[in-house]
Amino acid sequence: MRESRAEGGANQRLRLFVPRFGGFEPGQFAMLSPGTLGAAERFDPLLPRPMAIYRAKAVEGGAEVDVLYKVHGRGTALLAQARPGERVRFVGPLGRPFPDAPQGSLALLVGGGTGVASLYELAARTQASAVARVRVLLGARSAEDLMGRDDFEALDVELVVATEDGSLGERGLVTEPLERMLDAEPDAIVYACGPTLMLRRAADLSAARGRRCLVSLENAMACGFGVCLGCAAPKVGGGFALVCRDGPVLEASSVDWERLAR
Amino acid sequence: MSGVDLRVDLGGIALRNPVLTASGTFGYGTEFAPFLDLRRLGGIVTKSLTLEPRAGNLPPRIAETRGGMLNAIGLENVGVEAFLREKLPALHADVVVVASVFGTEIEHYAEVARRLSVSERVAGLEVNASCPHVKSGGIEFGQNPNLLAELVRAVRRASTRPLLVKLSPNVTSIAEMARVCEGEGADAISLINTLQALDVDIETRRPVLHNVLGGLSGPAILPIALRMVWQASRAVAIPICGIGGIGTAEDAIKFLICGATAVQVGTASYLNPMAAGEVADGIAEYARRHGLGRIADLVGTLELPR
Repeated sequence: MRESRAEGGANQRLRLFVPRFGGFEPGQFAMLSPGTLGAAERFDPLLPRPMAIYRAKAVEGGAEVDVLYKVHGRGTALLAQARPGERVRFVGPLGRPFPDAPQGSLALLVGGGTGVASLYELAARTQASAVARVRVLLGARSAEDLMGRDDFEALDVELVVATEDGSLGERGLVTEPLERMLDAEPDAIVYACGPTLMLRRAADLSAARGRRCLVSLENAMACGFGVCLGCAAPKVGGGFALVCRDGPVLEASSVDWERLAR
Repeated sequence: MSGVDLRVDLGGIALRNPVLTASGTFGYGTEFAPFLDLRRLGGIVTKSLTLEPRAGNLPPRIAETRGGMLNAIGLENVGVEAFLREKLPALHADVVVVASVFGTEIEHYAEVARRLSVSERVAGLEVNASCPHVKSGGIEFGQNPNLLAELVRAVRRASTRPLLVKLSPNVTSIAEMARVCEGEGADAISLINTLQALDVDIETRRPVLHNVLGGLSGPAILPIALRMVWQASRAVAIPICGIGGIGTAEDAIKFLICGATAVQVGTASYLNPMAAGEVADGIAEYARRHGLGRIADLVGTLELPR
């Protein structure tokens, strides 16, 4: 652990030094175990938490990896309490990344809640490549809850914010500006990460207009590398995709949303 | 690792050390290639294999509990043929592979065992007896001594490979079930499988798993597993493979002392994919520290009050 910092609301930013880290692709994640690795193993809370890799910077012997997440239970709180110099278990990068945006397209990046963290690197790289235009749509309950706002503003991408209480940007759900933009932009491709209801809405809006939509799912998982089979997401036509191994990024049209949501 | 002989014989399966991985927690082994050289382990036990591929249960399939987790995966697996064709050849020839066998009817178990026994790479079979028996209204094979006897007999006839039977802990007398397996020709007994359990979301009043009931695993079940291993080891002469909440070498050593010839690391591999290797190293270190020439000499050495 290099640094653990509260960033307003429940938002927490970790900066970790990860030895031998060889880089990552936008949309990949890591499994972080709650609490520090002390002399004795900690077994409660038991399972590691899947978290998006926000960004990484190569340094001598490895990389500094940033993780942005929300503290909402004992495990995430214990992780936030780790002090500089203490060790936490980090397994990653894991999973399949977002595919590149097609030449000349408009990449609409739609993030809600913790899902925002999965999109930063995609926004940064797409913007830098200049292959496609980038527009970022971020949703949160309130201005305070919104993750990573300063970072996205620093990217100089088009940024649209929606908050449910209207404390920043448009009042309402982030899928409302998405709908307007899908209507106006025939070359749009949608990248979405956030609550299941948001993803499903983004999937439906995209499908109705014949636009490709990629979603990054946030299912609970125990391992992150394809053995616990706990993160299974039902597929259209039967069977399951493993969010950790086949995803977390999946074609929205391949997900059976009816059976995914309880 | 000089000075300590870590080898054990698990019912005819020669293991270089007493640490295996538990079925259902280690995939088909290949998933662990980035983390662990499998040749450091005594062996691996595969995900349970059925005659046909199985898709598994609807989510949510897992949930965390205090010091443990619940799962109801639904025995999703690629099926015995895909395992033999695609998964098994991907493992190094020096990895000891025990194949877990599963079915919803006795004849299915026997057929899976028969097909697996054709491969030279399958060092042994482990019968997963914790499956609801369809014809008997859903009771687990491992919960009824007559059903269990019939199952072990059928698989025994189908294969000459070393045969392990993995017992359900959801029984009144584990000793009775162990004796049934021994009587029907099993070469060793693995225990325990997960404990049947339930958890609830009080906001929605729904069970946390779609399947309602799930199996409890992880450190929370260790003392129960240890008790059952000890009881089973006193009831039968065939070797015991201890399973249940093992995450460290200290945990594994307790099982050896209580009568297990070997152990399996399960849920711990999820949080630490290198756990099984670390357990094997730690056992060797303990044996050196205690001046044990052979790890097998530690098995069943529990000192009881006089």
